[in-house]
Amino acid sequence: MSDRYSFSLTTFSPSGKLVQIEYALNAVAQGVTSIGIKATNGIVIATEKKTASPLIDDTSLEKVANVCPNIGIVYSGMGPDFRVLLAKARKAAQKYKRIYNEYPTTGILVKDVASVMQEFTQSGGVRPFGVSLLIAGYDETGPVLYQVDPSGSYWAWKASAIGKNMINAKTFLEKRYNDDIELEDAVHTSILTLKEGFEGQMTEHSIEIGIIGGGTTGFTEGKEQPLFRKLSPSEVRDYLANIS
Amino acid sequence: MDYNGGTVLAMAGKNCVVVGSDKRLGVQNLTLSTEFQKVFPVTEKCYIALPGLATDVQTLSELFRLKCNMYKLREEREIEPLTLANMISSTLYGRRFGPYFCEPIIAGLDKNNKPHIYGMDLIGCLNFPDDFAVAGCAEAALFGMCESLWEPDLEPDELFETASQALLSAADRNSIVGWGAVIHTM
Amino acid sequence: MEFLLGMTGKDFTLTISDTAATRSIIVFKNDEDKSLELNKHVLMLYSGSPGDTLHFAEYIQRNVKLYEIKNGIELTPKATATFTRREMATSLRSRKPYNVNLLIAGYDVTTSLPHLYWIDHLGTNATMPYAAHGYGAFYTLGILDKYHRPDISLDEAKAIAKKCIEELKTRFFINLSGFKVKVSDKDGIREIEI
Repeated sequence: MSDRYSFSLTTFSPSGKLVQIEYALNAVAQGVTSIGIKATNGIVIATEKKTASPLIDDTSLEKVANVCPNIGIVYSGMGPDFRVLLAKARKAAQKYKRIYNEYPTTGILVKDVASVMQEFTQSGGVRPFGVSLLIAGYDETGPVLYQVDPSGSYWAWKASAIGKNMINAKTFLEKRYNDDIELEDAVHTSILTLKEGFEGQMTEHSIEIGIIGGGTTGFTEGKEQPLFRKLSPSEVRDYLANIS
Repeated sequence: MDYNGGTVLAMAGKNCVVVGSDKRLGVQNLTLSTEFQKVFPVTEKCYIALPGLATDVQTLSELFRLKCNMYKLREEREIEPLTLANMISSTLYGRRFGPYFCEPIIAGLDKNNKPHIYGMDLIGCLNFPDDFAVAGCAEAALFGMCESLWEPDLEPDELFETASQALLSAADRNSIVGWGAVIHTM
Repeated sequence: MEFLLGMTGKDFTLTISDTAATRSIIVFKNDEDKSLELNKHVLMLYSGSPGDTLHFAEYIQRNVKLYEIKNGIELTPKATATFTRREMATSLRSRKPYNVNLLIAGYDVTTSLPHLYWIDHLGTNATMPYAAHGYGAFYTLGILDKYHRPDISLDEAKAIAKKCIEELKTRFFINLSGFKVKVSDKDGIREIEI
């Protein structure tokens, strides 16, 4: 037992900071930008999809994902860490459904994911996750957009940005956002915001967009409710064509 | 199921539900108490009725109270009848191979004040009746009474009377059921 | 064949337990005390498999005492009964359940009310104005149905207790050899003669 670290690697510095968490946030700040905007009738989350080489088949990359039918998620930061969290989030949603025969509300799912991330700042032998998340969901309480950070803290936003260009993107969003924005406009705004710090040509293959609300509903367990879905490349192309 | 006696029923009316039980606790034919609780409040508008082995009635009522309190704290809202029924069902099925000897009935109004009634067996197989649900030692007699007395769209006071008469008459035909009764109207 | 009985009065709880320690058809002892003081005001009467009974009762007694040392307050009769029921219900679904029936009799100093709880070997817990375990219940509950009132005085309770014991002596075909009568009230628990 003495040959492995059983204490937490995240320890307080004399000034009271947890530098490991700050380093994790630095990892997030190096990740590509992601945007989330809450509209009156839904939410859009969007991100850049950057590939290191043009030879990579980008159809295999997935950064915007479904957690359960009414909740979607996107990240900035380390891809492998995100996949672990996504698997845990999906499992938490299924576990909830196994007990109550309905999917968790966005708030409950966010609490579950955030508590996993918090555990990784205090447990022995592990490091914090190098990702920030934007989680979008729509339930009886309406559309809600959450951001979760490596420390496990989370907030609900009207609109937010994470990753490399977050400061500029947030300034842009503050200017463009208004309380009665509709989902169609929100999708446009999210693309425009991404375009702000975008390097190179923006195409339907270099960004990913997920939406919930705005008329996309479906039946799960006999109950009609909004469904989260990713926009197909052709839908993204249409949006891009409208912008330029 | 026939060791301690006891029976319960629930009925749906027009924007209302009732749930009730007898009050006897016995050991086979010996009556010990006439003040034994079998119906438990969960929220203002939702009750669980637990007929069956008395020790499991108490264990489950305590367990569901804990789970519903935790639910309320975690979700910052009251549990809905259907959600509660599913939660109870999965709890009972979790003991599929060593079950609690209890057949719960859930009755309540949802957030839109629509009546809900659910019944299940001792391993959590759910039933979704829209008229009435009965369980316990006088189940058979209660089915007959409810079948003939219940009619659609009863008002709260009519529903109370119907459920009371059904329960009282069924209890009279069963020696280990009766000794007082309670009906909750929502 | 064992017999336990309890009844609440105006400001006390009275209990009777038989004193026969038996095995099969042999009486080993006829001055056995089948009760344990859980704290100053709460008495637990037990019957069932020898060994299980005392073991379980002592286990409860020690946990009740531990609670009081830890928290510096006396457990109420209700809290004691709830705790005991939970332990019994947990034991029921264990590999080897306890075969013990209990009466928890006590006086709640916080509300100045007497309490009586009937707990069986399955973990059923019921509060009653009067209660009994064993075959004796069939002979004595009828007497209590007729004579007991919630506000009886200690003398009246003693008179009813006497009637119950007389009935057992005349109509029960087993000689229970002796009875211990105890009272729990605001001053604590004591044995009394009737």
